Amino acid sequence: MDGHENEDVGFQHGSDGVLHCPSSGMSTNPLPEKVSGMAMSSVSMYKPSNGADPFFSSGWDPLVSLSHSENFGASSMVSHSEFSNPPYPVVMENQGVSSSFHLVQYPSSSTLIEPVPKLPCFGSGSFSEMVNSFGLPDCSQIANSGCPQNYASNKAGGGTGKTSTNTAQSQDDHQISGEGAIGSSPTAKRRKRAPDSNNSPFSPHQNAEGEVQKDLSGESSDVLKEPDEKKPKIEQNTGSNLRGKQTSKQAKDTSSGDGSKDNYIHVRARRGQATNSHSLAERVRREKISERMRLLQELVPGCNKITGKAVMLDEIINYVQSLQQQVEFLSMKLATVNPELNIDMEQILSKDIIHSRAGTGAILGFGPGMSSTHRYPHGIFQGSLPSIPAATPKFPSLPQTMLDNELHNLFQMGFDSCPVDNLGPNGHLKPEL
Amino acid sequence: MATKGVTLNTNARKIRFARRFISILLKMRKTRSPCSSSSIEDVRKRSQRIKIAAYSSMAHAVGPRRAWSRAVLFKLRSRARHQSMMKRRSFGLQKKRVVVVKNNNDIIPSGQLSQADRLRQLVPGGKAMDMCSLLEETADYISCLATQVKVMQTIADHFSK
Repeated sequence: MDGHENEDVGFQHGSDGVLHCPSSGMSTNPLPEKVSGMAMSSVSMYKPSNGADPFFSSGWDPLVSLSHSENFGASSMVSHSEFSNPPYPVVMENQGVSSSFHLVQYPSSSTLIEPVPKLPCFGSGSFSEMVNSFGLPDCSQIANSGCPQNYASNKAGGGTGKTSTNTAQSQDDHQISGEGAIGSSPTAKRRKRAPDSNNSPFSPHQNAEGEVQKDLSGESSDVLKEPDEKKPKIEQNTGSNLRGKQTSKQAKDTSSGDGSKDNYIHVRARRGQATNSHSLAERVRREKISERMRLLQELVPGCNKITGKAVMLDEIINYVQSLQQQVEFLSMKLATVNPELNIDMEQILSKDIIHSRAGTGAILGFGPGMSSTHRYPHGIFQGSLPSIPAATPKFPSLPQTMLDNELHNLFQMGFDSCPVDNLGPNGHLKPEL
Repeated sequence: MATKGVTLNTNARKIRFARRFISILLKMRKTRSPCSSSSIEDVRKRSQRIKIAAYSSMAHAVGPRRAWSRAVLFKLRSRARHQSMMKRRSFGLQKKRVVVVKNNNDIIPSGQLSQADRLRQLVPGGKAMDMCSLLEETADYISCLATQVKVMQTIADHFSK
């Protein structure tokens, strides 16, 4: 049938083909519908998980086939009900939009390619000297959220400190170049929101660096010729950066000084770590990713002992696929179930709530008992209401949205039997989904 | 992450999802022919619809706060728009034009997708995300999927009794 064909194509489209055998076997096989219907339906349970969005693999094309089949109403109601006014920009899948999401974190695009002196956000005097050393127009680009006031106050202090020491010029030039390059080679990753203030051994050097920065801004080429005994890497790495970008930095500083936003992350290189701008950005990115991986480790069951990104990613992928498979299987199960009376819906609702309260899967035995234990007077419910903080905001809205008055009653009934369970889940720290 | 606020938030989401999903199921039951047509194809179609209803309910319950829910809702709307347009045109053309096999998920010439790419395929809207936000969206998506499965399991268990 047409629907089937669409589904087949959808399956084909959705699956990798290479990775999952059942799907590939099915996709290449235009099966006779009735005979192999069951097989297809059983295999279709694999389908959405085969490396494809569950919607796309088997959901979308059958949706279309359904449209010109008997009942578009069900799905259309799903889709049309609240689609009048998208409260948000709808074009979410475009690359441009997604990139704009990234850009949200960054300053305006005009400043992206400019060398910005990325200085750590310190409230110390050394920071002010560093800021000063880069030159005032540069400093204005350092639109750090926490630092502007420091910057303003420290400028004066830095000015005085600058004139004091000029001795360590040769030694500090490389560091200045390092710092300058760190700031002046602006990778897009740098401009993030959260200031990352790590203490670093740079601070002892900054006092001397500060003064030299002024010279640095003046001279574009002579700065990096001094021998570098302290941090050899920086010189080579950042020297070329600084040379290349020094002029552009000065050219654009004044123009973009006012356009800078407070979107920068100022990362400090920790002791013993590379201070290359790229490596710093890489480190920030890696830390973010590892933090997210830790979050995921808590979510995916049985991943406490896994160390390693690759294994963890495999587990995550398997878990997502299994969840999608479960959804497919449960939807099939629900489709085969015969509809029952309305009153059962209410029981389901209340059971779901109890289910969520207790947070365990062993609640099902509680269900039949729940339906038999009835209708507490509302007074009892009122008494138990304070113990259900989560439900309180929900509850006033329930009567309006309930399908029935009975539903309303059952909710109350459900909440009546809840309070005992409620104390448990409220003590739960881990969110039980 | 393990805070009471998160628990309440997920519970609220679960309630929203459950309510919407059950209302859809009820509507589907009303429109269903009283003679229980248990043909396999009908069952499969119904299951597809139920699955789509589940995902859309979850996306609505989450709202436009998350990139993946936005992606799901966007797909739903574009599909609905496309279908309504197709309906308005000729029914004869529908069959041919519907099938859009646009395989943007390029399988690397080596034939094996990288882990990140596979994850991108799984998570809605993940194709256009960098690794960092992809992981974040995956975490939220996993939590929502687990909620969805639990609620659907409860409903199915109730009916199977």
